[in-house]
Amino acid sequence: MKRLVVLSCVALAVCLPSCHKPQERQAQPVVTEDPVQVDAHTAEVVAKINSVSAYEVPDLALQEDEDYAETTEDVRPFRHVEPYKEHFLVQMEYTGPGRAIPEPEHVDTVKVGFIGPIMSTVSVATGGKSHEEPLGIKMLQGARLAIEEANASGGYLRRSIPFELVVSNDNGLWGASGNEIVKMAYKDHVWAILGTIDGANSHIAIRVALKAEITMMNSGDTDPTFIETNIPWVFRCISDDRQQGYLLVDYLYRKLGLDRVGIIRSSNRYGRFGVREIVDGSRRLGHPIILEMAYQLGLDDFSLQLERLKEVDVQAIVHWGDAREGALILNQMRQMGMEQPYFACDRCLLDEFVTLAGPNADGVICTSPWNPTHTDEKYLAFRERFRERFGEEPETYAAHAYDGMDMILWAIQVAGLNRAKIRDVLAHRAQPWEGVTGDIALSAALDDVGEVYLARREGDRWQYYSRQDLGVPREYTPLRDRTEAAMAQVSRQ
Amino acid sequence: MSRMNSRRVCLVCIAFSTSVATAKLPYVYTDWEHFTVKDGLPNDHVFCVKVDGPRVWVGTENGLARIDKPTGEVWSWQEKDGLPWQVVSSIDVNPKTGEVWIGLFGGGLARFSGGRFDHWHQLNSGLVNDVVYGVTVENDNVWAATTAGASRYNTVTGEWTIYTEKNAPMEEIWNYGVCYNNGKVYLGIWGSGVLEFDVATEKWKDYLDPDGEMEIDLYRDDGVVHVITTGVSYVDNILWVSSYFGMCRYDGRHWRGYYERETGLPSDFGNAVKGRNANEAWFATDKGIGVVTDFASDTWVTYTMDPNTHEGIAVVSRNKDVLEKVRSPQGIPHNYALWVEFDGNDVWVGTSKGLGHAKGTGYYPGLKDRPVHTPSARNLVDARQAN
Repeated sequence: MKRLVVLSCVALAVCLPSCHKPQERQAQPVVTEDPVQVDAHTAEVVAKINSVSAYEVPDLALQEDEDYAETTEDVRPFRHVEPYKEHFLVQMEYTGPGRAIPEPEHVDTVKVGFIGPIMSTVSVATGGKSHEEPLGIKMLQGARLAIEEANASGGYLRRSIPFELVVSNDNGLWGASGNEIVKMAYKDHVWAILGTIDGANSHIAIRVALKAEITMMNSGDTDPTFIETNIPWVFRCISDDRQQGYLLVDYLYRKLGLDRVGIIRSSNRYGRFGVREIVDGSRRLGHPIILEMAYQLGLDDFSLQLERLKEVDVQAIVHWGDAREGALILNQMRQMGMEQPYFACDRCLLDEFVTLAGPNADGVICTSPWNPTHTDEKYLAFRERFRERFGEEPETYAAHAYDGMDMILWAIQVAGLNRAKIRDVLAHRAQPWEGVTGDIALSAALDDVGEVYLARREGDRWQYYSRQDLGVPREYTPLRDRTEAAMAQVSRQ
Repeated sequence: MSRMNSRRVCLVCIAFSTSVATAKLPYVYTDWEHFTVKDGLPNDHVFCVKVDGPRVWVGTENGLARIDKPTGEVWSWQEKDGLPWQVVSSIDVNPKTGEVWIGLFGGGLARFSGGRFDHWHQLNSGLVNDVVYGVTVENDNVWAATTAGASRYNTVTGEWTIYTEKNAPMEEIWNYGVCYNNGKVYLGIWGSGVLEFDVATEKWKDYLDPDGEMEIDLYRDDGVVHVITTGVSYVDNILWVSSYFGMCRYDGRHWRGYYERETGLPSDFGNAVKGRNANEAWFATDKGIGVVTDFASDTWVTYTMDPNTHEGIAVVSRNKDVLEKVRSPQGIPHNYALWVEFDGNDVWVGTSKGLGHAKGTGYYPGLKDRPVHTPSARNLVDARQAN
């Protein structure tokens, strides 16, 4: 009897708004079906996710990769042993009830979250020094431009209401990003989130995103482990340090024929995980890193680290850290008479590095997740619009944030206001995203495994070189051949 | 606070037996009832459950609930009722005081006692972060597993102790699950495997994936299957662990890994684990519940629900060989399972679409000679009509 009473109340509550305030319902914008033209595959995905109940899982094909992150046989961990289990080869599913949540009736704006280091704060996560704001601000600019352009084109087309960027700062104490994601998910009611840069904060953020069931698009964290978490809600639209490390290792040993390489890196998560594939790849190719030295962020004098590297007589030095430290280390090296080739991560492609390094920058080679000198019309047009809007050049973080936000906005237009469906259309795209940074092809782990580059400072500019340009094409190091490997193992026995 | 009275669900327990053979088989739960918002829960997304004698505490995405088993009453609390934050991710009860400790996902830690909520957060206490994933009571202490370390609160002295990478062997500080039993606290840590804290000596011990690689598990039984762990449960000197990459069991000397491809696990994506004893553990996954019912023989029962008919499906298997398949009018409320809690012979299962209560009438541990159920289509039709 009590259940009956309650059910009646629920029914009444549902009826009341329509009985008493019909004018409000009429005031709601008309929902337009299929406002965005999509390919046949995406249309099929949409049809499937729209047809399931809260208890069903749509019958969507899951991407299967032959190799994780296109890892080649010679740098595969424990390559002489077949692992008991390989992860990340099959795309993760979302099996919860979220797809059945109806699109809300009353929405004034379509909120999209942004989280990045945009305010100067002291951060334990980043080694006790605030240092990523320049990157975060560029990221925000890219995201903001994408939102503004979408609004200029009609906003959320189904209802003709604008998108709204909900901005959060994540450069705080460890865990602050978690609080921010919670707030965006449960109080601001954003539909998806773009961010972050710092690897530690990113991990915290995606753990929250998983529990809150909201899409998290990353455009600035190149930590390989970010995506190695099996979370079906996490995407990354920038190539990571694993991909960049693979290219650098090939270049160091296969192209240059070096044997004794040393590393100097920041003593934070970015430095620690950034060089991991370089360290492992070097060892697996038979050229173990001779010495790896770490430094605290904010240091001005690197003589201790450099003296040690000088003592072991390395042929080249790889730096993984921020632009400022990268330039100071390079200058100090040259002052100490260390003339070894200098390699660095993509953060040293920033103007700050060149400004501080001066003529020493000439000949430096940095890894890069993309080629900003490409002349694709789409990119050139973006660059022009970005300059016009902000009076600055777009760089890595701005351009990738623009792409990441564009992907989110596309997904919202296609899927509607439902977090699970937004995730679905992104996760089940058949074709690479044609972004301003190039084609973004997602792996089964929903990570960008597009082409990466080496940039060499030549005169007053960076020249970008692909694998093909460098003479170390991917075919040079064959992808894993399980059949042959198994046969070889049998023959050894 | 709101209340809903006397919920009485009529479930018809159907004996599907048309069997002719007997075999050594585990107990299978076929008598289920569900609780959702229709029954008084504040929200269907159930993150955690804690049984405290006749009371069942339920943490949801939008409030706290208590089911009084003798009367069937369902009570609930939301922010408007004084609950400090809407998302309840974990609950434990102090057996000495009856105080209910509540982990709030993004809202810190709360204590519910005498009808009042007390609230601790990172700005008024030693709680290291407000995003709390797990909470457990250890003697006079309350542990909170947060996204930025673990906190231990002494409820007698009021002293807080924070554990991070600075004073514990946490490679990463992203704590997920926590449990206490028999003098040991275990933390399941995202990126840092499992940590063991010996209460008597206050010494730590870490358990990591020996191969050190994220993308592979080199050997199944060489240690914890992956460093990203989600749940821990310590019972009868056995540690059970869940992760998003498979599950495992540790007896203090030997590890045993479990993967979907060779066991009754419905998925390798484990949200939580609860060990019942040294031989039985329940794993809550994104595709149902996997129960290792007899460790020695590696016998499993896999509980799922038919998304179309909503009937329960229980599959008994050993080494992937299906020994028995039992359908029941109801099963787990949804296949996305988030929590398991034991209640004597009964079991509570939290899912993203309701709470399930499995009644264990006649439950027995391990295996027993009994007839093999072989349901007929006629039984199922009758069952649906009866329900």
